[in-house]
Amino acid sequence: MRFLFINHLQNARQSLRSNRMRSYLTMLGVTIGVASITIILSLSSGAGKIVGDQIDSLGGNITIIRPGSPQTMSTNLSQIKPQRNFSASSLTEYDLGVIKDIKHVAAAAPIMIISGTIKADNTAPSDSSVVATTPELQTISNLKVQTGQFLDSTIDKNTVVIGPQLAINIFGTDQAIGKSLTVHGKALTVIGVLKRANDPINYNSVDFDNAAIINLEVGKQLGLGQPQIQQIDVRSDSVTNLSGVIVDLNKALLISHGGENNFSVLSGDQIAQPTSQLFFALAGATTAIASISLLVGGIGIMNIMLVNVAERTREIGIRKALGANNGDIAAQFMIESIAIGIGGGVSGYILGYVIAFAISTFLTFQPAINWQIAAIAGFISIVMGTVFGLYPAFRASRKDPIESLREYS
Amino acid sequence: MTEIPTNTPVIELHNLKKRFGIGDAEHFALDGIDLTINSGEFIAIMGPSGCGKTTLLNILGLLDRSTDGEYKLDGREISTISARRQAYIRSHQIGFIFQSFNLIPRLSVIENVALPLTYKGILQTKRLKIASRILHNFHLGEREYYMPSQLSGGQTQRVAIARALVNEPSIILADEPTGNLDSRSSHVIMEELSDLHKRGNTIIMVTHNPRLTSYASRVITMLDGKINTDTKSADDETIPFTDITPTAVKKRKKVKLVRPWTKRRHKSKATLVSSNRRKK
Repeated sequence: MRFLFINHLQNARQSLRSNRMRSYLTMLGVTIGVASITIILSLSSGAGKIVGDQIDSLGGNITIIRPGSPQTMSTNLSQIKPQRNFSASSLTEYDLGVIKDIKHVAAAAPIMIISGTIKADNTAPSDSSVVATTPELQTISNLKVQTGQFLDSTIDKNTVVIGPQLAINIFGTDQAIGKSLTVHGKALTVIGVLKRANDPINYNSVDFDNAAIINLEVGKQLGLGQPQIQQIDVRSDSVTNLSGVIVDLNKALLISHGGENNFSVLSGDQIAQPTSQLFFALAGATTAIASISLLVGGIGIMNIMLVNVAERTREIGIRKALGANNGDIAAQFMIESIAIGIGGGVSGYILGYVIAFAISTFLTFQPAINWQIAAIAGFISIVMGTVFGLYPAFRASRKDPIESLREYS
Repeated sequence: MTEIPTNTPVIELHNLKKRFGIGDAEHFALDGIDLTINSGEFIAIMGPSGCGKTTLLNILGLLDRSTDGEYKLDGREISTISARRQAYIRSHQIGFIFQSFNLIPRLSVIENVALPLTYKGILQTKRLKIASRILHNFHLGEREYYMPSQLSGGQTQRVAIARALVNEPSIILADEPTGNLDSRSSHVIMEELSDLHKRGNTIIMVTHNPRLTSYASRVITMLDGKINTDTKSADDETIPFTDITPTAVKKRKKVKLVRPWTKRRHKSKATLVSSNRRKK
C-alpha cells in the first residue's frame, strides 16, 4: 500500500501557489466567517466571566440566597428559564435573623430594591436604583467609599450613601456629603459617596455607581407593605467553612419556611449563572447569524474548487494517464480545499482577536482567550474545507481520462 | 546473429471490440482485433484517420475499456482488474507519449518529469533528483526550471519522453509522437525511441508518417477498426535481449543513456549487439 499523503500535500501546495490570488481570495471568505465567530465568542465569554471574576475577587467565601426554588444548571439555548423578577419574594427579614445565627456566618446583608424616584436638585434618571440594606453589605460586597462613610447602625437612620454617577446626576457634583435628597417623599442626608466601580454587571444586580443605599428600616417605612428582599448576601468566616455554611443555610431556611423549598442558596458559578446564561443566549443568536457568513465562505470554496476542477480537467487526464487513481485525484483536490479552509481559519482566528481587542477598548471587559474558541475556530475551518471540497473532489476523481485529455487539445 | 527471438507475449488481444454510441449511432471503433505483441517489439500502427488506432492505444494503455473481447497484459485479463489496480499498472508498467506532449503548463520541466513518481509514493527531493538525472541524460539539464511554454516543440517532446521513462516502464505507448514536429525534430525523437527499443523496451507507436515505419520492427496497418496488414520488418532480428527476463530488463535500463542524436546512426548493428553482450 502506498502512503501518498505527503505527496498530495506537496501537490496541493504547488497548485495553490500557482493560483495565489485566487487562493487568497477564497481564504478571505473563510477568514471573515471565522473572524466574526471568534469575535462573538471571545467577547461574550469575556462578558460572562465578569460576574465569576467578581466572586473570585471577593475571596470565594460568598454565598447568596435568592427567592424561588433552585434551578438546574443549563446553558442550553432552548431551555433558558425565565427569571422571576415579578413574583413576591419569599425571603423575609426573619430569615435574615435565622441566617445570622448560623455558625461560621461572618456577615449577612439583604438586598431590597425599592422602586421610587430619587429627587434633589435634579430628578435622577429612571435607571437609578434605591437599595435598602444593612451596613454589613459593605464588607460582603467590598464597596469602597470615596468620601464620607458607609451606613452605620450607630448613627441616624435617615442617611443615605450614593454612587458617584448618581451624585453627579442629581447634585451636579460628586462632593455631595451633607446634602439632602428625597426618596418617595422621605428626606435623607447623604453621608457618603462610593468610589466608582464601573461594573454595572454584578451578582447583586445593582449598579452601585448609580444607586442610593439606604437603611433597611427606612426602606420598610417607605410604605411598600411587606418588605421585598430580593437577595441575601452571606459571607462565611473562611473559604473552607463555606460548604458547611451552605448546608446549614439550607436546613435552617427550610425550617423557617415551613418545609417549603421556595429559596435557593447559590455559590460560585451558580451565582454567575443567570447573567452568563443571558450572554450565552445572546452569543448563540449572534453566532447563528455569523454562521451565515461561514456558509457564504464555504460556498466560495466549493465554487472555486469547481472552477479549479474544470480548469484542470486536462491535468487530471494527464495525471491519470501517468498512474494516478481516482483516490489520488480526489485526495489532491480535498487537501487543497482543506488547506484553504485551515488557512482561512487560522487567519480568521487571529483577525478575530485583533478586532475583539480593538472593540474591547470601548467596553468594560476584555475578550476571553481560551482553548474552546481556538478549538471551535479550528473545527469549523476543517469541516468547511472538507464539506465544501467533497463534491468538487468527487467530480474530479470521476473524470474520464480520455475525455479529459481531449479537452482543449 | 544466431539467436532466434523467442519472446514472451506481453499483450494479447482476442476479438477486441470497442463500440461508441448506441442504436442508430452505433459505431465500432474497434471491430474484432486479434493481436499478440511480444516484449521487445517496436510496433508502428498505421492507418487512415478514424480507423481506431488511438482507441486501440488507449485501451492498451488502460485509459479506456473495451466493450467486448479479451485483453491480456502479462497474462492477466484486464477486465477483471480493479480500477485502482489498473492505475497501479499504468504507474509502474506503462509510459505514455502524446502527440500534443501533454505537459502540465503550470509546472516546470523538472516537476513535469517528476510527476509520475508522485504516484509511486516517492518524496519530492528524491523525485526531483531522479527527474534531474533523466533530464541530464536527455541533455535538457540546463532547461530543468524552464516552463513548458518556453521550450521548442522538439524539446517539449523530449521532456515528455523523459517523463514517460522516469518510471522505468516496460511498455511505451506513443500516439503520433512526431505529429506536431518538423522533420528534423521528428528524426531526433525517433532516434530516441529506437534507442529505447534497443534497450529492451516494448514500444507501440501510432503514426501517420510512413517514413517512420523504418524504425519499427513490425508494422501494423488498420482499416475500419480491423487489422489490415501485419508485417514484420526486415530488421526484425535486431530485437535485442530476446531471452531476457523482466528483472534483467530492469537492470539493463539502469545502463547510462548515451547521447543518441550524436551517435552515428549507421553504426553497424553487429557492434551494437556485441556491446550489449559485453555488458551482460
